[in-house]
Amino acid sequence: MLHRRIYQFFIIYFLGLSALMLMKYGLNLSDYVIPSPTEIWQTGRRYFGLYFLAVIDTLSVAILGHILSIFLATVVGVIGRLTIWVGSFIRVAAYNIQAYPIVAVAPIIFILLGDGLGSRLLIAAMICYFPLLLSFIGILSEPVAEIEHFYETTMRMTWRLQVKIRAFENINKISTVIAGSGTLAMVGTIVSEFIAANAGIGYSIRIALYQSDLAKILVALFLIGVCTSLYLVCLEWLGHVVQKRLQNA
Amino acid sequence: MQIDLKSIHYKYPNTGNDVFTDLTLNIFGPGFHALFGPSGVGKTTLAKIITGEIKEFSGEIAMPEIDVVLYTYNLERIPGWSTVQDHLNVTTPDANKDKIIDLVSSLGLESCMDSRFTQLSLGQQNRTNLIRYLLQDFDLLIMDESLANVDEITKEKIILKIKHMFPNRCFFYISHNVVEVAKFCQQILVLRGYHKMPQAVILQGQNYTNGQSLNNKELERTMLEIVNAS
Repeated sequence: MLHRRIYQFFIIYFLGLSALMLMKYGLNLSDYVIPSPTEIWQTGRRYFGLYFLAVIDTLSVAILGHILSIFLATVVGVIGRLTIWVGSFIRVAAYNIQAYPIVAVAPIIFILLGDGLGSRLLIAAMICYFPLLLSFIGILSEPVAEIEHFYETTMRMTWRLQVKIRAFENINKISTVIAGSGTLAMVGTIVSEFIAANAGIGYSIRIALYQSDLAKILVALFLIGVCTSLYLVCLEWLGHVVQKRLQNA
Repeated sequence: MQIDLKSIHYKYPNTGNDVFTDLTLNIFGPGFHALFGPSGVGKTTLAKIITGEIKEFSGEIAMPEIDVVLYTYNLERIPGWSTVQDHLNVTTPDANKDKIIDLVSSLGLESCMDSRFTQLSLGQQNRTNLIRYLLQDFDLLIMDESLANVDEITKEKIILKIKHMFPNRCFFYISHNVVEVAKFCQQILVLRGYHKMPQAVILQGQNYTNGQSLNNKELERTMLEIVNAS
Protein backbone atom coordinates (compact mmCIF):
# COMPACT_ATOMS: atom_id res chain seq x y z
CA MET A 1 0.00 0.00 0.00
CA LEU A 2 2.75 2.45 1.10
CA HIS A 3 5.23 1.83 -1.71
CA ARG A 4 2.40 1.91 -4.32
CA ARG A 5 1.24 5.37 -3.20
CA ILE A 6 4.80 6.71 -2.97
CA TYR A 7 5.65 5.31 -6.44
CA GLN A 8 2.51 6.89 -7.86
CA PHE A 9 3.45 10.24 -6.36
CA PHE A 10 7.07 10.01 -7.57
CA ILE A 11 5.90 9.22 -11.11
CA ILE A 12 3.51 12.19 -11.18
CA TYR A 13 6.03 14.54 -9.55
CA PHE A 14 8.87 13.66 -11.89
CA LEU A 15 6.58 13.79 -14.92
CA GLY A 16 5.61 17.33 -13.89
CA LEU A 17 9.25 18.23 -13.31
CA SER A 18 10.22 16.80 -16.72
CA ALA A 19 7.48 18.88 -18.37
CA LEU A 20 8.91 22.00 -16.71
CA MET A 21 12.41 21.14 -17.89
CA LEU A 22 11.13 20.49 -21.43
CA MET A 23 9.50 23.90 -21.35
CA LYS A 24 12.64 25.53 -19.95
CA TYR A 25 15.03 24.09 -22.51
CA GLY A 26 12.52 24.03 -25.38
CA LEU A 27 11.63 27.70 -25.00
CA ASN A 28 15.09 28.64 -23.76
CA LEU A 29 13.75 30.13 -20.52
CA SER A 30 16.15 31.63 -17.98
CA ASP A 31 16.98 30.09 -14.58
CA TYR A 32 15.04 32.98 -13.03
CA VAL A 33 11.77 31.66 -14.52
CA ILE A 34 12.42 27.92 -14.21
CA PRO A 35 15.46 26.92 -12.18
CA SER A 36 17.89 24.30 -13.45
CA PRO A 37 17.89 20.77 -11.97
CA THR A 38 21.14 21.56 -10.12
CA GLU A 39 19.58 24.62 -8.51
CA ILE A 40 16.49 22.65 -7.49
CA TRP A 41 18.73 19.97 -5.97
CA GLN A 42 20.80 22.53 -4.06
CA THR A 43 17.67 24.35 -2.81
CA GLY A 44 16.32 20.99 -1.72
CA ARG A 45 19.42 20.21 0.30
CA ARG A 46 19.45 23.68 1.85
CA TYR A 47 15.77 23.92 2.78
CA PHE A 48 14.87 20.28 3.38
CA GLY A 49 15.02 20.53 7.21
CA LEU A 50 13.12 23.81 7.43
CA TYR A 51 10.43 22.77 4.95
CA PHE A 52 10.12 19.32 6.46
CA LEU A 53 9.27 20.89 9.84
CA ALA A 54 6.81 23.23 8.10
CA VAL A 55 5.10 20.28 6.38
CA ILE A 56 4.88 18.39 9.68
CA ASP A 57 3.32 21.50 11.22
CA THR A 58 0.78 21.63 8.36
CA LEU A 59 0.12 17.90 8.57
CA SER A 60 -0.53 18.13 12.34
CA VAL A 61 -3.11 20.87 11.79
CA ALA A 62 -4.64 18.89 8.90
CA ILE A 63 -4.96 15.76 11.07
CA LEU A 64 -6.57 17.75 13.89
CA GLY A 65 -8.95 19.42 11.43
CA HIS A 66 -9.75 16.07 9.87
CA ILE A 67 -10.57 14.52 13.25
CA LEU A 68 -12.72 17.52 14.12
CA SER A 69 -14.63 17.28 10.82
CA ILE A 70 -15.18 13.50 11.21
CA PHE A 71 -16.59 14.08 14.69
CA LEU A 72 -18.85 16.91 13.51
CA ALA A 73 -20.00 15.00 10.43
CA THR A 74 -20.86 11.97 12.59
CA VAL A 75 -22.91 14.03 15.06
CA VAL A 76 -24.74 15.99 12.34
CA GLY A 77 -25.14 12.83 10.23
CA VAL A 78 -26.79 11.02 13.15
CA ILE A 79 -29.24 13.90 13.57
CA GLY A 80 -29.67 14.27 9.81
CA ARG A 81 -30.80 10.66 9.44
CA LEU A 82 -34.01 11.44 11.38
CA THR A 83 -37.25 11.35 9.41
CA ILE A 84 -38.73 14.25 11.40
CA TRP A 85 -38.33 17.93 10.38
CA VAL A 86 -34.94 18.38 12.10
CA GLY A 87 -33.46 15.64 9.89
CA SER A 88 -34.97 17.09 6.72
CA PHE A 89 -33.79 20.59 7.65
CA ILE A 90 -30.23 19.41 8.28
CA ARG A 91 -30.13 17.41 5.04
CA VAL A 92 -31.35 20.35 2.93
CA ALA A 93 -29.05 22.80 4.73
CA ALA A 94 -26.04 20.51 4.24
CA TYR A 95 -26.71 20.14 0.51
CA ASN A 96 -27.12 23.89 0.08
CA ILE A 97 -24.17 25.02 2.21
CA GLN A 98 -21.72 22.54 0.68
CA ALA A 99 -22.34 24.13 -2.71
CA TYR A 100 -20.74 27.35 -1.40
CA PRO A 101 -16.92 27.58 -1.74
CA ILE A 102 -15.55 27.57 1.80
CA VAL A 103 -12.28 29.20 0.67
CA ALA A 104 -14.29 32.34 -0.08
CA VAL A 105 -15.25 32.52 3.60
CA ALA A 106 -11.62 32.14 4.72
CA PRO A 107 -10.85 35.90 4.84
CA ILE A 108 -13.74 36.41 7.27
CA ILE A 109 -12.33 33.67 9.51
CA PHE A 110 -8.90 35.32 9.48
CA ILE A 111 -10.42 38.73 10.26
CA LEU A 112 -12.37 37.28 13.19
CA LEU A 113 -9.82 34.79 14.57
CA GLY A 114 -6.48 36.21 13.44
CA ASP A 115 -3.75 34.30 11.58
CA GLY A 116 -2.97 31.67 14.24
CA LEU A 117 -3.71 28.00 14.70
CA GLY A 118 -7.48 28.48 15.19
CA SER A 119 -8.05 29.85 11.70
CA ARG A 120 -5.96 27.15 9.98
CA LEU A 121 -7.71 24.43 11.96
CA LEU A 122 -11.19 25.79 11.25
CA ILE A 123 -10.61 26.19 7.50
CA ALA A 124 -9.05 22.70 7.23
CA ALA A 125 -12.01 21.21 9.10
CA MET A 126 -14.57 23.11 7.03
CA ILE A 127 -13.06 22.11 3.70
CA CYS A 128 -13.21 18.38 4.40
CA TYR A 129 -16.34 18.55 6.58
CA PHE A 130 -19.01 18.94 3.89
CA PRO A 131 -18.02 16.04 1.63
CA LEU A 132 -17.82 13.89 4.76
CA LEU A 133 -21.18 15.14 6.00
CA LEU A 134 -22.96 14.42 2.73
CA SER A 135 -21.59 10.88 2.69
CA PHE A 136 -22.42 10.30 6.36
CA ILE A 137 -25.96 11.64 5.97
CA GLY A 138 -26.44 9.45 2.89
CA ILE A 139 -25.17 6.36 4.67
CA LEU A 140 -26.93 6.93 7.99
CA SER A 141 -30.30 7.85 6.51
CA GLU A 142 -30.45 4.80 4.22
CA PRO A 143 -32.32 1.97 6.03
CA VAL A 144 -30.91 -1.56 5.93
CA ALA A 145 -34.41 -3.05 5.82
CA GLU A 146 -33.41 -6.73 5.85
CA ILE A 147 -31.60 -6.26 9.20
CA GLU A 148 -33.63 -3.48 10.77
CA HIS A 149 -37.03 -5.11 10.17
CA PHE A 150 -36.59 -7.59 13.03
CA TYR A 151 -35.67 -4.88 15.53
CA GLU A 152 -38.48 -2.61 14.36
CA THR A 153 -41.12 -5.31 14.50
CA THR A 154 -40.04 -6.56 17.94
CA MET A 155 -39.80 -2.95 19.26
CA ARG A 156 -36.09 -3.26 20.01
CA MET A 157 -34.80 -0.56 17.73
CA THR A 158 -32.87 2.27 19.38
CA TRP A 159 -31.10 5.14 17.62
CA ARG A 160 -27.72 3.70 18.65
CA LEU A 161 -28.53 0.30 17.20
CA GLN A 162 -29.81 1.89 14.00
CA VAL A 163 -26.62 3.92 13.58
CA LYS A 164 -24.52 0.85 14.40
CA ILE A 165 -26.30 -1.30 11.80
CA ARG A 166 -26.05 1.32 9.06
CA ALA A 167 -22.41 2.18 9.85
CA PHE A 168 -21.41 -1.50 10.01
CA GLU A 169 -23.11 -2.31 6.73
CA ASN A 170 -21.34 0.62 5.04
CA ILE A 171 -17.96 0.40 6.76
CA ASN A 172 -16.15 0.11 3.39
CA LYS A 173 -17.77 3.31 2.12
CA ILE A 174 -17.08 5.13 5.40
CA SER A 175 -13.40 4.23 5.48
CA THR A 176 -12.99 5.17 1.80
CA VAL A 177 -14.66 8.53 2.36
CA ILE A 178 -12.54 9.24 5.45
CA ALA A 179 -9.33 8.32 3.63
CA GLY A 180 -10.38 10.41 0.64
CA SER A 181 -11.17 13.45 2.75
CA GLY A 182 -7.66 13.28 4.27
CA THR A 183 -6.33 14.95 1.11
CA LEU A 184 -8.97 17.66 1.46
CA ALA A 185 -7.87 18.35 5.05
CA MET A 186 -4.29 18.82 3.83
CA VAL A 187 -5.49 21.04 0.96
CA GLY A 188 -7.62 23.10 3.35
CA THR A 189 -4.73 23.68 5.74
CA ILE A 190 -2.31 24.66 2.97
CA VAL A 191 -4.87 27.02 1.42
CA SER A 192 -5.50 28.70 4.78
CA GLU A 193 -1.74 29.08 5.36
CA PHE A 194 -1.32 30.43 1.87
CA ILE A 195 -4.03 33.05 2.40
CA ALA A 196 -3.00 34.52 5.73
CA ALA A 197 -1.42 32.22 8.33
CA ASN A 198 1.99 32.75 9.91
CA ALA A 199 3.27 29.14 9.88
CA GLY A 200 3.16 25.91 7.90
CA ILE A 201 4.22 24.93 4.41
CA GLY A 202 1.50 27.05 2.78
CA TYR A 203 3.05 30.08 4.45
CA SER A 204 6.50 29.01 3.19
CA ILE A 205 5.12 28.69 -0.35
CA ARG A 206 3.66 32.19 -0.08
CA ILE A 207 7.07 33.59 0.92
CA ALA A 208 8.73 31.66 -1.96
CA LEU A 209 6.12 33.09 -4.32
CA TYR A 210 6.93 36.65 -3.21
CA GLN A 211 10.63 35.84 -3.91
CA SER A 212 9.67 34.27 -7.28
CA ASP A 213 11.69 31.21 -6.20
CA LEU A 214 10.25 28.25 -8.08
CA ALA A 215 12.95 25.90 -6.76
CA LYS A 216 11.67 26.39 -3.20
CA ILE A 217 8.08 25.83 -4.33
CA LEU A 218 9.06 22.59 -6.08
CA VAL A 219 10.86 21.35 -2.95
CA ALA A 220 7.79 22.24 -0.86
CA LEU A 221 5.51 20.40 -3.30
CA PHE A 222 7.73 17.33 -3.13
CA LEU A 223 7.56 17.22 0.68
CA ILE A 224 3.79 17.90 0.69
CA GLY A 225 3.27 14.99 -1.71
CA VAL A 226 5.37 12.56 0.32
CA CYS A 227 3.75 13.50 3.65
CA THR A 228 0.20 13.46 2.24
CA SER A 229 0.82 10.03 0.72
CA LEU A 230 2.08 8.79 4.10
CA TYR A 231 -1.02 10.18 5.84
CA LEU A 232 -3.37 8.58 3.31
CA VAL A 233 -1.59 5.24 3.68
CA CYS A 234 -2.02 5.49 7.48
CA LEU A 235 -5.75 6.23 7.03
CA GLU A 236 -6.20 3.31 4.61
CA TRP A 237 -4.33 1.00 6.99
CA LEU A 238 -6.49 2.17 9.92
CA GLY A 239 -9.66 1.58 7.86
CA HIS A 240 -8.41 -1.89 6.96
CA VAL A 241 -7.67 -2.71 10.63
CA VAL A 242 -11.08 -1.45 11.78
CA GLN A 243 -12.87 -3.51 9.10
CA LYS A 244 -10.91 -6.63 10.03
CA ARG A 245 -11.64 -6.14 13.72
CA LEU A 246 -15.37 -5.60 13.12
CA GLN A 247 -15.60 -8.69 10.95
CA ASN A 248 -13.84 -10.82 13.55
CA ALA A 249 -15.24 -9.18 16.69
CA MET B 1 -58.65 -16.39 18.09
CA GLN B 2 -60.04 -14.88 14.91
CA ILE B 3 -58.96 -12.67 12.03
CA ASP B 4 -61.76 -10.74 10.28
CA LEU B 5 -61.09 -8.66 7.21
CA LYS B 6 -64.04 -6.68 5.88
CA SER B 7 -64.19 -4.84 2.52
CA ILE B 8 -60.46 -4.23 2.27
CA HIS B 9 -59.55 -1.88 -0.54
CA TYR B 10 -55.94 -1.07 -1.35
CA LYS B 11 -54.01 0.44 -4.28
CA TYR B 12 -50.24 0.53 -4.72
CA PRO B 13 -49.30 4.12 -3.85
CA ASN B 14 -47.00 4.86 -6.80
CA THR B 15 -48.76 3.00 -9.60
CA GLY B 16 -52.35 3.37 -8.51
CA ASN B 17 -52.99 -0.25 -9.46
CA ASP B 18 -55.66 -2.03 -7.42
CA VAL B 19 -54.49 -4.91 -5.26
CA PHE B 20 -57.69 -5.52 -3.30
CA THR B 21 -61.03 -4.00 -4.24
CA ASP B 22 -63.46 -5.65 -1.83
CA LEU B 23 -61.60 -8.31 0.09
CA THR B 24 -63.59 -9.93 2.86
CA LEU B 25 -62.51 -13.03 4.73
CA ASN B 26 -62.49 -14.69 8.08
CA ILE B 27 -59.88 -17.02 9.56
CA PHE B 28 -60.45 -18.53 12.95
CA GLY B 29 -58.66 -20.57 15.54
CA PRO B 30 -55.01 -20.99 16.38
CA GLY B 31 -52.98 -23.23 14.08
CA PHE B 32 -51.05 -23.30 10.88
CA HIS B 33 -52.86 -21.47 8.09
CA ALA B 34 -51.68 -20.65 4.58
CA LEU B 35 -51.69 -17.63 2.34
CA PHE B 36 -51.46 -18.96 -1.18
CA GLY B 37 -51.60 -17.44 -4.64
CA PRO B 38 -49.58 -16.63 -7.73
CA SER B 39 -46.74 -14.10 -7.58
CA GLY B 40 -47.87 -10.48 -7.44
CA VAL B 41 -51.39 -11.29 -6.25
CA GLY B 42 -50.88 -9.43 -2.95
CA LYS B 43 -49.85 -12.03 -0.36
CA THR B 44 -47.07 -9.91 1.12
CA THR B 45 -49.23 -6.79 0.86
CA LEU B 46 -52.03 -8.51 2.78
CA ALA B 47 -49.50 -9.66 5.39
CA LYS B 48 -48.29 -6.09 5.81
CA ILE B 49 -51.86 -4.82 6.10
CA ILE B 50 -52.50 -7.33 8.87
CA THR B 51 -49.29 -6.38 10.74
CA GLY B 52 -50.06 -2.68 10.39
CA GLU B 53 -46.97 -1.94 8.28
CA ILE B 54 -49.34 -0.73 5.54
CA LYS B 55 -51.89 1.72 6.86
CA GLU B 56 -53.20 3.41 3.71
CA PHE B 57 -56.11 1.03 3.04
CA SER B 58 -59.83 1.25 3.52
CA GLY B 59 -61.95 -1.41 5.20
CA GLU B 60 -61.91 -3.01 8.62
CA ILE B 61 -59.65 -5.49 10.35
CA ALA B 62 -60.66 -7.12 13.62
CA MET B 63 -58.37 -9.50 15.45
CA PRO B 64 -59.79 -10.28 18.89
CA GLU B 65 -57.34 -12.12 21.17
CA ILE B 66 -54.43 -11.22 18.89
CA ASP B 67 -52.21 -8.53 20.35
CA VAL B 68 -48.78 -9.17 18.93
CA VAL B 69 -48.42 -9.81 15.20
CA LEU B 70 -44.98 -10.46 13.75
CA TYR B 71 -44.05 -10.69 10.10
CA THR B 72 -40.87 -12.33 8.83
CA TYR B 73 -39.58 -12.80 5.31
CA ASN B 74 -36.83 -14.88 3.82
CA LEU B 75 -34.39 -12.12 2.90
CA GLU B 76 -33.81 -10.94 6.45
CA ARG B 77 -30.31 -11.01 7.92
CA ILE B 78 -28.83 -10.85 11.38
CA PRO B 79 -26.16 -8.17 11.99
CA GLY B 80 -22.69 -9.13 10.80
CA TRP B 81 -20.99 -8.32 14.11
CA SER B 82 -22.47 -11.22 16.07
CA THR B 83 -22.59 -14.99 15.82
CA VAL B 84 -25.92 -16.84 15.67
CA GLN B 85 -25.51 -17.86 19.33
CA ASP B 86 -24.80 -14.31 20.51
CA HIS B 87 -27.67 -12.90 18.49
CA LEU B 88 -30.18 -15.41 19.86
CA ASN B 89 -28.98 -14.78 23.42
CA VAL B 90 -29.37 -11.03 23.04
CA THR B 91 -32.72 -10.99 21.22
CA THR B 92 -34.60 -13.76 23.05
CA PRO B 93 -36.83 -12.63 25.94
CA ASP B 94 -35.74 -14.18 29.25
CA ALA B 95 -38.94 -16.20 29.55
CA ASN B 96 -38.25 -17.97 26.24
CA LYS B 97 -34.52 -18.63 26.66
CA ASP B 98 -35.18 -22.25 27.68
CA LYS B 99 -36.62 -22.90 24.21
CA ILE B 100 -33.41 -21.96 22.37
CA ILE B 101 -31.67 -25.35 22.63
CA ASP B 102 -34.80 -27.30 21.68
CA LEU B 103 -35.56 -25.12 18.65
CA VAL B 104 -31.95 -24.96 17.48
CA SER B 105 -31.74 -28.74 17.63
CA SER B 106 -35.13 -29.28 15.94
CA LEU B 107 -34.23 -26.90 13.11
CA GLY B 108 -30.84 -28.59 12.70
CA LEU B 109 -28.71 -25.57 13.44
CA GLU B 110 -26.43 -26.83 16.26
CA SER B 111 -23.36 -26.64 14.04
CA CYS B 112 -24.12 -23.04 13.04
CA MET B 113 -24.24 -21.45 16.47
CA ASP B 114 -20.68 -20.12 16.41
CA SER B 115 -20.92 -18.96 12.81
CA ARG B 116 -21.73 -15.57 11.46
CA PHE B 117 -24.74 -15.13 9.21
CA THR B 118 -22.67 -14.72 6.03
CA GLN B 119 -20.96 -18.05 6.69
CA LEU B 120 -24.28 -19.94 6.53
CA SER B 121 -25.99 -21.48 3.51
CA LEU B 122 -29.24 -19.87 2.30
CA GLY B 123 -31.33 -22.59 3.97
CA GLN B 124 -29.45 -22.18 7.26
CA GLN B 125 -29.87 -18.41 7.06
CA ASN B 126 -33.63 -18.76 6.63
CA ARG B 127 -33.89 -21.21 9.53
CA THR B 128 -31.79 -18.93 11.75
CA ASN B 129 -34.04 -16.02 10.93
CA LEU B 130 -37.15 -18.09 11.65
CA ILE B 131 -35.82 -19.29 15.03
CA ARG B 132 -35.34 -15.78 16.37
CA TYR B 133 -38.97 -14.96 15.52
CA LEU B 134 -40.26 -18.18 17.07
CA LEU B 135 -38.44 -17.21 20.26
CA GLN B 136 -40.37 -13.93 20.55
CA ASP B 137 -43.69 -13.43 22.26
CA PHE B 138 -46.38 -13.35 19.58
CA ASP B 139 -49.97 -14.33 18.91
CA LEU B 140 -49.74 -14.38 15.13
CA LEU B 141 -46.59 -15.00 13.11
CA ILE B 142 -46.68 -14.46 9.37
CA MET B 143 -43.94 -16.48 7.68
CA ASP B 144 -43.30 -15.14 4.17
CA GLU B 145 -41.34 -17.83 2.31
CA SER B 146 -39.48 -18.40 5.56
CA LEU B 147 -38.53 -21.95 4.66
CA ALA B 148 -37.30 -21.24 1.15
CA ASN B 149 -34.09 -23.10 0.25
CA VAL B 150 -34.75 -25.73 2.92
CA ASP B 151 -35.01 -29.35 1.79
CA GLU B 152 -38.41 -31.08 1.96
CA ILE B 153 -37.57 -33.46 4.82
CA THR B 154 -36.16 -30.72 7.05
CA LYS B 155 -39.05 -28.45 6.12
CA GLU B 156 -41.59 -31.09 7.21
CA LYS B 157 -39.71 -31.64 10.45
CA ILE B 158 -39.69 -27.91 11.17
CA ILE B 159 -43.38 -27.36 10.42
CA LEU B 160 -44.40 -30.33 12.57
CA LYS B 161 -42.18 -29.07 15.39
CA ILE B 162 -43.73 -25.59 15.20
CA LYS B 163 -47.24 -27.06 15.28
CA HIS B 164 -46.30 -29.22 18.25
CA MET B 165 -44.50 -26.47 20.18
CA PHE B 166 -46.99 -23.67 19.62
CA PRO B 167 -50.47 -25.22 19.52
CA ASN B 168 -52.13 -22.05 20.81
CA ARG B 169 -50.54 -19.58 18.44
CA CYS B 170 -51.63 -18.60 14.98
CA PHE B 171 -49.36 -18.89 11.94
CA PHE B 172 -49.80 -17.61 8.38
CA TYR B 173 -47.56 -19.55 6.08
CA ILE B 174 -46.89 -17.87 2.73
CA SER B 175 -45.61 -20.36 0.18
CA HIS B 176 -45.87 -21.29 -3.49
CA ASN B 177 -45.63 -24.99 -2.77
CA VAL B 178 -49.10 -26.55 -3.24
CA VAL B 179 -48.15 -29.86 -1.63
CA GLU B 180 -46.91 -28.47 1.67
CA VAL B 181 -49.72 -25.96 1.89
CA ALA B 182 -52.33 -28.68 1.28
CA LYS B 183 -50.64 -31.11 3.63
CA PHE B 184 -49.74 -29.02 6.68
CA CYS B 185 -52.20 -26.14 6.78
CA GLN B 186 -55.54 -25.96 8.48
CA GLN B 187 -57.17 -23.16 6.49
CA ILE B 188 -55.81 -22.13 3.12
CA LEU B 189 -56.51 -18.61 2.01
CA VAL B 190 -56.14 -18.57 -1.77
CA LEU B 191 -55.75 -15.06 -3.19
CA ARG B 192 -56.99 -14.84 -6.80
CA GLY B 193 -56.29 -11.27 -7.90
CA TYR B 194 -58.50 -8.19 -7.86
CA HIS B 195 -60.13 -8.92 -11.24
CA LYS B 196 -61.68 -12.20 -9.99
CA MET B 197 -64.67 -12.42 -7.72
CA PRO B 198 -64.48 -13.39 -4.94
CA GLN B 199 -60.92 -12.18 -4.57
CA ALA B 200 -60.09 -14.82 -2.00
CA VAL B 201 -61.27 -18.33 -1.31
CA ILE B 202 -60.76 -20.20 1.93
CA LEU B 203 -60.20 -23.96 1.66
CA GLN B 204 -59.67 -26.61 4.30
CA GLY B 205 -56.21 -28.21 4.30
CA GLN B 206 -55.24 -31.64 5.65
CA ASN B 207 -53.60 -30.07 8.74
CA TYR B 208 -51.22 -33.01 9.06
CA THR B 209 -49.55 -33.40 12.44
CA ASN B 210 -47.10 -35.89 13.93
CA GLY B 211 -48.49 -39.39 14.44
CA GLN B 212 -51.51 -38.79 12.24
CA SER B 213 -52.15 -40.88 9.16
CA LEU B 214 -52.44 -39.00 5.89
CA ASN B 215 -55.09 -39.83 3.34
CA ASN B 216 -53.37 -39.39 -0.03
CA LYS B 217 -56.66 -39.14 -1.93
CA GLU B 218 -57.85 -36.34 0.35
CA LEU B 219 -54.51 -34.60 -0.06
CA GLU B 220 -54.75 -34.81 -3.85
CA ARG B 221 -58.30 -33.47 -3.70
CA THR B 222 -57.18 -30.49 -1.60
CA MET B 223 -54.31 -29.80 -3.99
CA LEU B 224 -56.72 -29.83 -6.93
CA GLU B 225 -59.07 -27.48 -5.11
CA ILE B 226 -56.19 -25.07 -4.48
CA VAL B 227 -55.04 -25.16 -8.10
CA ASN B 228 -58.60 -24.67 -9.37
CA ALA B 229 -59.26 -21.81 -6.97
CA SER B 230 -56.11 -19.84 -7.80
